[in-house]
Amino acid sequence: MEGSFVLPGDVVGSSEEFVPGDCTYARGGTIFASTTGLIRIDPKTRAASVMPKANAPVKLCHGDIVVGEVIDMKESLVILSLAFKKGFENRPLSDEEATIHISNVRNSYVKDLRHLFSIRDIVKAKIVDERQMRLATGDEDLGVIKAYCNRCMTSLRRKDGKLVCPSCGNTETRKLSSSYGLGVV
Amino acid sequence: MDETDITFFKDGFRLDGRRAEELRPVKMEVGVLARADGSCYIEMGGNKVIAAVYGPREVHPRHLQEVTRAIVRYRYNMASFSVEERKRPGPDRRSYELSKVSREALEPVILTSYFPRSVIDVFVEVLQADAGTRTAGINAAAVALADAGIPMKSMISACAAGKVDDTLVLDPMKEEDNFGQADLPIAMTPNGEITLIQMDGGLTPDELHQAVEMAMKGCRDIYEIQRKCLVEKYSQLEAPAEEVHACE
Repeated sequence: MEGSFVLPGDVVGSSEEFVPGDCTYARGGTIFASTTGLIRIDPKTRAASVMPKANAPVKLCHGDIVVGEVIDMKESLVILSLAFKKGFENRPLSDEEATIHISNVRNSYVKDLRHLFSIRDIVKAKIVDERQMRLATGDEDLGVIKAYCNRCMTSLRRKDGKLVCPSCGNTETRKLSSSYGLGVV
Repeated sequence: MDETDITFFKDGFRLDGRRAEELRPVKMEVGVLARADGSCYIEMGGNKVIAAVYGPREVHPRHLQEVTRAIVRYRYNMASFSVEERKRPGPDRRSYELSKVSREALEPVILTSYFPRSVIDVFVEVLQADAGTRTAGINAAAVALADAGIPMKSMISACAAGKVDDTLVLDPMKEEDNFGQADLPIAMTPNGEITLIQMDGGLTPDELHQAVEMAMKGCRDIYEIQRKCLVEKYSQLEAPAEEVHACE
């Protein structure tokens, strides 16, 4: 049973014996596979799941690193539209929104969120709550990886921990990621 | 050419040497397109069809999105060089209809509620046509969906039955389709749940019954080929696993 190769619709087990896990569905007391992959049985929870072998759509979990664009800002909240998960760049996320609360932006006190983020910034963040899609940017490698000048929309360059616009000379601050401007996630 | 000009059977065999209840040779290949999330190339006799699946991804235009489920878009398109006389490129009445019925054949098995506000796009391109392109397209699309890892309740396989010279035949080829008396394409799950049934021409109720049974048998045979094709591809990625073969 465990490790067997299954296709969508194949029987994985019985509801009397197992709990339907990931990539399965139950119907009429039987658990079926919903994707192509290998059967996995968790001996502790008795969950029968299928480990996808095909190029399955991305599933977001606690601790995953994601990249998204700031689409809105509130008093104590940054709202992002997620683009992709790290390691799955060729499988974009579909219409997924997430938030960063002011308390999860960095490890020190944040007085004003507008000094650390701006609309249209590209942000790299870690998922801390996958149900409510809450993100955190506390770590050094997390934060803004690309930002644009609020005056002229030119892409900002990093200089001495600050961001400078090469076109109009405007200086801005952000919660910068160590990979700002490198083009790598 | 007139129907009376053609002899459909010779010594009990059809024009291409098949028996009445025999499928044309089927060749299938998974993952043929690097840019698509899932893809499949299929040859069913003279038909050459390629299917690509993208998604779940953002819906454009936005007003088409559904808040509780993903929408499925299916585009059936015949290449201008796919038939003897050049086909005018672009969508036409026939391809709109085939796109609609093929989408409705696949949609019942796709677990669309897992991906709200998104779209699953299926593109089917007919490179060479020889009757039965909709069934070939559905077969390729089902394998491409499985290749893309889209959650599904089960696979879908499709096959047609027809009537020529007052005899029921499985998987009609071009001459039998053009000059025959009936054509009955069906699509179904391996459990026998029919998701598409159409009929062109005329059959008596008894013949309809027999033709459906015949096409269902063809679908089961095609399902075995789809299964073999996917198992071959994915068992290569890891040590071969024992294969479970059971559907309800």
